[in-house]
Amino acid sequence: MHGFGDLEAVIMHRVWDHGGPVTVRELFEELQRERVIAYTTVMTTMDNLHRKGWLARVKEGKAYRYTATASREEYSARLMREALDGGGDTQAVLSHFVAQMDGEESEVLRAVVRRLADRRPR
Amino acid sequence: MRTALLLFGYALAVAWWAPALLSRLTAQGISPRLGLAAWLTAMASALASAAAALEFLVQAAVAGWSRLAEVVCRSVAGHACAQTVYTGAVFEFTLAVITVVAALAAAAVAWRYGRRVQQVQRQTRAHAEVARITGRRLPGVTATVVLDAPQPAAYCVAGRPGMIVLTSGALALLEPAQLAAVLAHERAHLAGRHHLLIALTRGLAAVFPAVPLFARGPEHVARLAEMCADDAATRHSGRSALLAALLAMAADAAGPASALGAMTCAVAARLQRLADAPRRGRHAGNGLALAAATILLAGLPALVATLAGAVALPGLTG
Repeated sequence: MHGFGDLEAVIMHRVWDHGGPVTVRELFEELQRERVIAYTTVMTTMDNLHRKGWLARVKEGKAYRYTATASREEYSARLMREALDGGGDTQAVLSHFVAQMDGEESEVLRAVVRRLADRRPR
Repeated sequence: MRTALLLFGYALAVAWWAPALLSRLTAQGISPRLGLAAWLTAMASALASAAAALEFLVQAAVAGWSRLAEVVCRSVAGHACAQTVYTGAVFEFTLAVITVVAALAAAAVAWRYGRRVQQVQRQTRAHAEVARITGRRLPGVTATVVLDAPQPAAYCVAGRPGMIVLTSGALALLEPAQLAAVLAHERAHLAGRHHLLIALTRGLAAVFPAVPLFARGPEHVARLAEMCADDAATRHSGRSALLAALLAMAADAAGPASALGAMTCAVAARLQRLADAPRRGRHAGNGLALAAATILLAGLPALVATLAGAVALPGLTG
C-alpha cells in the first residue's frame, strides 16, 4: 500500500477519516491492528505533521488532541489550482501529460483531431 | 584579447543563428533525443564561450593596465597602434571599467539564475509533499498517487523519488492500456530528468530574455522532451494506446475555442507526429545532421580558443 513507506500520508488519511479530533494513543491503537509500529513513531510523525502545519493540536489533560488544519478536498483543490491554472513557473515544476491549452491552441488541436479521425476508420 | 573577442563573437553567432538552424532540424521530432542534445549543447556552448571570453578579458586586465591597453590596441589597430595611444590613461581606464562592468554583470546574472532555479526547486518540493500526503496510493503501481478531482489530469513532480500524480477524473477517463501509456510517458520524464532540463533552460530564458537561443530554447526543450517521453511510452504500451490516451486527455483539456487558429500547438504536433510515424520511416539524414551540429557546437569553442591563441601569440609578443 505504501509506495514511499510514507507514514505521514497514512496518518493524515486516518485523521481525515476520523473527522473529529484524535489523540496519538487512538491512532496508535488503530494502526497497531494492521502493522508493527511503535507508539513513539506515531507520536514523532504527528509532531512533525504539526510542525509542518498539517495538524493543529489542543492540549487536553496530559495528551494532545489533533485535528487536520484543512480537509483532504481543500488540499486536492489547492494542488489542482497550482497544477492546472499555471502561473509562476508551474511548467518547470510539473510535466503534464497533456499541456494546458489556450483557445487558439485547442482550435488547432481540434483541427488535427478531425484530420486524424477522417483518416483512421473507426 | 583577440581570443576573448573571437570567443565572444562565436557565442553571439551561436546565440543568434543556432535557433533557426536547430528549429528546422528538430521541427519534425524525427530524432527527439538527438534534437534535445543539440539544443542543450548549443546553449552550453554559447555560455561556455562567453564565460571563457570573460575569463580571458579578466586575465588580461589583471596582467596590468598598460599591458591590457596595449593588447586591445594591437588587436584592433595592429602595429599602427602608437605608443602614445595605448599608454594614454583614459584608454587604460576605459578598458578596466569595461572589464569590471562585464564581470559584475556576469556575477549578477549568475546570482539571479541561481535564485530562480532554487525557487523552482522549493516550489517542486512543496507541491510534491502535498501530493504525497494528500493523494491515495494506486494499488500495484509504485510512486503514483491519485487526487480526488473531477478534471482529468496527469503529471509528474520531481523529487527523491519522483512521483506521478493522477486525478480521479483521469482514472475514470482512461482505459487500462491508455493508463499504462500515460504512466510510461510520465516515468520517462522522471527517468530522463526532463524537469531539470526544463527548469535550467527556463531559468536561462528568464535571465537572458533578449537572446534568441535562450529565449526560444525552453519551448523546444519541452517539446522534444515530450516527444522523447512519447517514444518511451510507444515502446512500452504501443502507439495506438498512447494516441488514444492523448486524444482522450487532449479533448478534455481543450478549452473554449477562439476565432484565430493559426498557431502551432505542442499537443497537436505530438498527435500528428505519432499518427505519421508509420509512414515516415527512418530518416538517417536528420539524425546525422543533428549529430554533426552537436559535435560542431561542442568542439568549436575549444577550436576557436586554440587557433586564436596560436595566431594571436606572435602578434602579442612581437
